[in-house]
Amino acid sequence: MTTTLWDTNGTEIVQTLSRERRAAGAIASGLALTLVVVVDEKSVAEAQAAATTAAAAHPCRLLIVVRRRMDTDDRLDAEVQVGGHLGANECVVMRMYGRLTLHAESVVLPLLAPDAPVVTWWYGAAPERLAHDALGVLASRRITDCRAAEDPRAELKRRAKDYAPGDTDLAWTRATPWRALLASAFDDSQSAPTSAQVSAEPDNPSAPLLAGWLMARLGVRAKLVDSEGPGVTAVEVKFEDKGRVRIERRDGHMATLSRTGRPDRTLPLKRRDLGDLIAEELRRLDADQPYAEALQAATRTKGLNERPGKRTHVWKDPEPVTSTRRAGTKKTASKRTAGKPARAKANR
Amino acid sequence: MTEPVHGLRGNPLRDVRDRRLPRVPDPCALVVFGVTGDLARKKLIPAVYDLGNRGLLPPGFALLGFARRDWDHGVFESLAREAAEKGSRTGFREDVWRRIADSIKFVPGSFDDDAAFDNLSETLIELEESHGIAGNAAFYLSIPPAMFPVVLKQMQRTGMADNAERCGWRRVVVEKPFGHDLASSRELNDLVDDVFTAQDVFRIDHYLGKETVQNLMALRFANTLFEPVWNGNFVDSVQITMAEDVGIGTRAGFYDNAGAARDVLQNHVLQLLALTAMEEPVAFDAEAIRTEKTKVLGAISLPADPEHYAIRGQYDQGWLGGERVASYLDEKDVPAGSRTETYAAVRLGVETRRWAGVPFYLRTGKRLPRRVTEIAVVFKRAPHLPFSKTDTEELGHNQLVVRVQPDEGITLRFGSKVPGSSMEVRDVSMDFLYGESFTESSPEAYERLLLDVLLGDATLFPRNEEVEHSWRVIDPLEEFWAGSKPELYRAGEWGPAGADEMLARDGRVWRRP
Repeated sequence: MTTTLWDTNGTEIVQTLSRERRAAGAIASGLALTLVVVVDEKSVAEAQAAATTAAAAHPCRLLIVVRRRMDTDDRLDAEVQVGGHLGANECVVMRMYGRLTLHAESVVLPLLAPDAPVVTWWYGAAPERLAHDALGVLASRRITDCRAAEDPRAELKRRAKDYAPGDTDLAWTRATPWRALLASAFDDSQSAPTSAQVSAEPDNPSAPLLAGWLMARLGVRAKLVDSEGPGVTAVEVKFEDKGRVRIERRDGHMATLSRTGRPDRTLPLKRRDLGDLIAEELRRLDADQPYAEALQAATRTKGLNERPGKRTHVWKDPEPVTSTRRAGTKKTASKRTAGKPARAKANR
Repeated sequence: MTEPVHGLRGNPLRDVRDRRLPRVPDPCALVVFGVTGDLARKKLIPAVYDLGNRGLLPPGFALLGFARRDWDHGVFESLAREAAEKGSRTGFREDVWRRIADSIKFVPGSFDDDAAFDNLSETLIELEESHGIAGNAAFYLSIPPAMFPVVLKQMQRTGMADNAERCGWRRVVVEKPFGHDLASSRELNDLVDDVFTAQDVFRIDHYLGKETVQNLMALRFANTLFEPVWNGNFVDSVQITMAEDVGIGTRAGFYDNAGAARDVLQNHVLQLLALTAMEEPVAFDAEAIRTEKTKVLGAISLPADPEHYAIRGQYDQGWLGGERVASYLDEKDVPAGSRTETYAAVRLGVETRRWAGVPFYLRTGKRLPRRVTEIAVVFKRAPHLPFSKTDTEELGHNQLVVRVQPDEGITLRFGSKVPGSSMEVRDVSMDFLYGESFTESSPEAYERLLLDVLLGDATLFPRNEEVEHSWRVIDPLEEFWAGSKPELYRAGEWGPAGADEMLARDGRVWRRP
C-alpha cells in the first residue's frame, strides 16, 4: 500500500506512516534499526531494491532521501509504503527541493524508529566530510561506497582522513568473500608469510583494502598489480618455505585456489549484488576495527581506531542564500505532479 | 604497518574482532551412510549445497555417499543434483553445483560387505591426496538403528574411525531414535563409544538447530527483564506443545513400534523443557550448556498418579483442513488392533528450587488441527486486583509464548484496558515476529547442525547423559501404559478428552496454540 503526499511536511509524513502501520496491522513489530539511504533520483529503484533485500534479514524502517534541485522553491514530496512487497518493512521515500535539501534531517529525525540504531548509507558519492551531512551525524553507522566516486582509490584516502569508528565502505564489504577464502586457505599453513600481491582493475578500491588487510594481519609488504578485471582478479601470498597460496578469479564467479604441494581447487567466489552487501553491513552495527586497520595500512595513515566515534555536524553551504531570495516562497508553488517538478523560477 | 595481532587457531588472518569472516570448517570429508534415503535427499544434500553456496565449505571438501545401489559416480551425482535443485534454500546455481559435484563420490555396497568397506576406506585415503581433506572425516549414519552395529564394526575393522591412525579428526553423527528405552540406548551408546570417543559423537536433534530455540537462550540469558520472573514465584505452569497435522504417512513400520512418546516426547519435547527450565550456564559453550541441561533433565519428576496425569491417545478418522482422513488403524501397514499412541500428554515436575511446585504440561500428537510447536510460560495472576470483579472477567494469566514453528517468534499476553468510559481489562497479545521474512534467510536446522559437526562445535547436540535421563522419564510412562488402550480422538481435534480433563483437574486449560 503506497500513499503519496505532494507538497507536504514532516508532521504529515509521521501521521501517514503511523496510520498506514495501523492499517497494515503492524501494531508491534520487530524493527531492529532505521536505514537512511541518501540517493539520486535515477537510482531510487535500485537502492530501494537493495535495501529491501537487506531488510529481509534485518527488519528495518527504510527512509530514502532524494535531494533534488537546490535552485528551486523549498518543497517536500513523500511516498509512504507499509507492507506489500516490502514484507514486514516500512519505507518512506522523501524528495526534497530547494534549501530543504540542506536540512533533510529536520524531516528524517521524527521518522527514526524509537531508540533503534540508525544506519546511513550514501548510495552515490559521499560528502567529502561525512560531518557535512547531518544525516551522517545522526547515524551510529555510516556506509559509503568508494566505487561510486570518480577516482575510487583517491576516495579511499579521503575516507581514511575523515574516518571515525562506525564508518564502513562497501569496497571493504566486497572483499569479504576473498578474505574468507584466504583465511581458510591459511587454516592449515605452518610457514611464515614473506610477501603478498593483489591484482585488480587499476581503479578498484577493494584491492588496496585487501592488500592493507594482509599487511596489517601478516606484517608483510603487499604489492598492488593492475589487471584487466573484473574487480579483484588474484591474491597471492608467498611463504618462507618457498610455498605460496594463490587465489585467482578471472570471470567474477569462480576462483581457483592453488597451494604449493596440493591439488588446485575451484571454488565459488562470486561478485555479490548490492542487497547482499548491505545485508552484510547491517549484521553488525558497532565499529569495524579490522576495516580501520586495513584502511590505515592501505592509505598509510595512523590511529584510525583511536579516533572518537561521534561526529558533530559541520555546516557547509554549497550555495549560500543571496539577498534576492524571497522568504516564504513555498506556498506560492501550486500542487505539482510527481517526478515533474515545475521549472525552477529563477529566484536566486 | 601495524604489529600483527595473534590470530585464532594459529591463523594470523583470523581475528576475533573480524566477525565478517564466516566460520569455515577444516578440510574434511562427509561420509553419508544410507545416502539414498529420504533424509539424505530432502535435508542433507540440500544442506551441503546451501553451505557450499554460502561459502561455508572448506576448500578441501568431499561428500562421500555409501548405499546398496549398483551406481557409479555419475548416477549418484545426477540424483544428488536433483535433490539439491529441489531442496536448496539459497537458489540453485550451476557453477556452485559443478564445484560440489567435483567432490562427490559414491561407493556402492551393502553394510555386511567387507570389500565395500575396504573400498570406502581406500577412497577416503585417496581423497586425502586428491581433494586435500587431510584425514578429517565426519560419518553421518542416516540408517535404521538396527544397522548401527554392523556399520560401526566395519568402521572399527577398517580403522576408519580412528583419530590417531588417520592423523585428523573423525566424528560420527547419529539421528534419533537413540534406542527405544534406557537399556537399548545404553547398548547403542556403548557400541558407538567403542568405536568413536565420546566427544566425537554428535546426536542430532534437529529442533535444537532452529533459530528460535537458540533465541530462547538469548531471551533468557541476555535480558534482565525475564530472568527475575522465570521461577516458581511467578510462573504458574509451563505448557510445551508439539503438534503435527500429518498422520504417520509411510512410517508405520517404525512408528507402530515407537509411538508418540518415544518418537517425539523423549527427544524434542524434553529438550525444549530442558532449555526452558535450565539454570544459566556459566559460559555459552558446549560443556557448560550441556551440564545445565543434564542437571534439569535429571531433576524431572513423574506424576505420582499416572492414570490422571499421563494420557495417551490414538487418532480416529475425522476431518482435517477440509479433507477426510483415515484413522490410525486404517493407515497403511498398521497392524489391526494396534495400541500404539499417536498422542501423549503428561504432567511433569522439575525438582529444583527454581521450579518446585510448577507443573510442566507436555503434549505431542499427530493429526491435530495444525502444525505448531511452542513453549508457553503461564504466569500467576496478580495477587490482588484493585478492580471490581466484573472489570477483570476477561483477564487471564499473563503468558510468554515462544513460538518455535511456524511463525517463529515470541508472544506476550497481558491485560489491557478496553478503550471506553468504563474500566474493563482484557487480554491482548503482543507479537514479536522473528522476522516473517527473516525465516527465509535464516539457515535450515540441518544446515546449521551439519556445519557445527564439521566445526566440532557440540553446543547444540545433546550429550549421552541427556538421552539417558530422557529415557528415565519415558520408560516408566511406557511401563504404565503397556497393556492399556489409548483413548481415541477424532483427527482434527486437539487430542483426547482425557488430556483436557488432566488440566481441568488442576484448574487449568490447555492454551489453544
